[in-house]
Amino acid sequence: MADRVLLSLLILLSLSGVIFVKEVLPEAGNVQIEVNGHPVYMLSIDEDRIVSVKGPEGETIVEIKDRKVRIAQSPCLNKLCMKKGWIEHGALVCLPNRVVITIGDFKKVDSQRGIESPFDAVDAVTG
Amino acid sequence: MDTLVTINVVSPSQDGAEKAMNAALSEVEKLEKLFSFFSADSEVSLVNKNAGVAGVKVSPEIIYILDRAIIVSKNTHGAFDITIGPVIMLYDFYKEIRPGERAIKKNLPLVNYKDIVINRDDSTVFLKKKGMLIDLGGIAKGYAADRVVDSLKKHGIKAGLVSVAGDIRTFGNKPDGRPWKIGIRNPRAKGAEDDIMAIIELSDMAISTSGDYERYFVQDGKRYHHLLNPKTGYPAEGCQSVSVIAGESTFSDAFATGIFILGPEKGLKVLAAMGFDGVIVDSRGKIHITANIRGKIEFKRNP
Repeated sequence: MADRVLLSLLILLSLSGVIFVKEVLPEAGNVQIEVNGHPVYMLSIDEDRIVSVKGPEGETIVEIKDRKVRIAQSPCLNKLCMKKGWIEHGALVCLPNRVVITIGDFKKVDSQRGIESPFDAVDAVTG
Repeated sequence: MDTLVTINVVSPSQDGAEKAMNAALSEVEKLEKLFSFFSADSEVSLVNKNAGVAGVKVSPEIIYILDRAIIVSKNTHGAFDITIGPVIMLYDFYKEIRPGERAIKKNLPLVNYKDIVINRDDSTVFLKKKGMLIDLGGIAKGYAADRVVDSLKKHGIKAGLVSVAGDIRTFGNKPDGRPWKIGIRNPRAKGAEDDIMAIIELSDMAISTSGDYERYFVQDGKRYHHLLNPKTGYPAEGCQSVSVIAGESTFSDAFATGIFILGPEKGLKVLAAMGFDGVIVDSRGKIHITANIRGKIEFKRNP
């Protein structure tokens, strides 16, 4: 029985038709920050940190604290990404500045051993 | 369309998975071009521009999605109606602008899905009245999710999960053989701790949610959200959120909108008539669910 791998692909469609493609979401416990589709940071969600990334519009400041993540500052017009506040799972996106932050939920799986999901882990969120 | 698309596939090979996902990506690009309400040369925009003037030749995908949209309109007593365009355009949820009664009364006669004329012989779509506007926002994402799943299956993928901005379609099971776990958002969440109100397990089903918290503003103590009642031109009032579980995302997406507008009582009847499952949070925050999913859904206790 071949090992089965769970792979993920994240695509962003924007009004201007630009598409960012990213492969393989980070594993559980990791916070991945990408700019323009390229990973810039892979951080542990367990360590409080403030980092700054530079996108085409300017600096986006990302904060990790108490196992939560937020966009503290971003140069976009609408500040929608900042209004989302703190997240514990899923993704945060600042489209104008091309910044994508994902919190890893997945464990790479070997079908022979199976997986034990943490109680709160979901594969996707609707709503 | 500012939309986050996530594709998850289960595959014995990384190579096979990447090939399938790249094909799916092309599919999404193609759909984006067809459906964009904002892009001046999309087929939908051309149909709208020629309202009351002439029929416009369209791709089979557009005919298909219009047919599906009309089926949903018929089964929701007209609560779901893609011709809502002229009225939704009067609202701006970022600038917090809403129309006065006169503007709504003026545009309401342009809202009627029965005025969409589809000619199958020459593949044209004609909107009968000048000023009519089709908005596929309530169904396009679900349709995109279905198309992506079709594309993945064609490339040999046996299991996966596709999400187009919260419209989710699952097929097969996860690598450990278990169904996919989908979180349903709490429509009145105050923060990350109470963000998810329930977790439901799905196998080979689609789930979509319409909520009054997605695009809205509050003015004079009243919430103005984007799910407008096509009969009144004002935001529907019976629900906070509606999640519909069906065999395809095209339907779960559109029916979630229609059932939200109908309200909990009529909404539950439509779910029963269609053989779908659903979770309705009514305007007072009370949760109604269809009998079938009782064993498959777990509600989180909020402190």
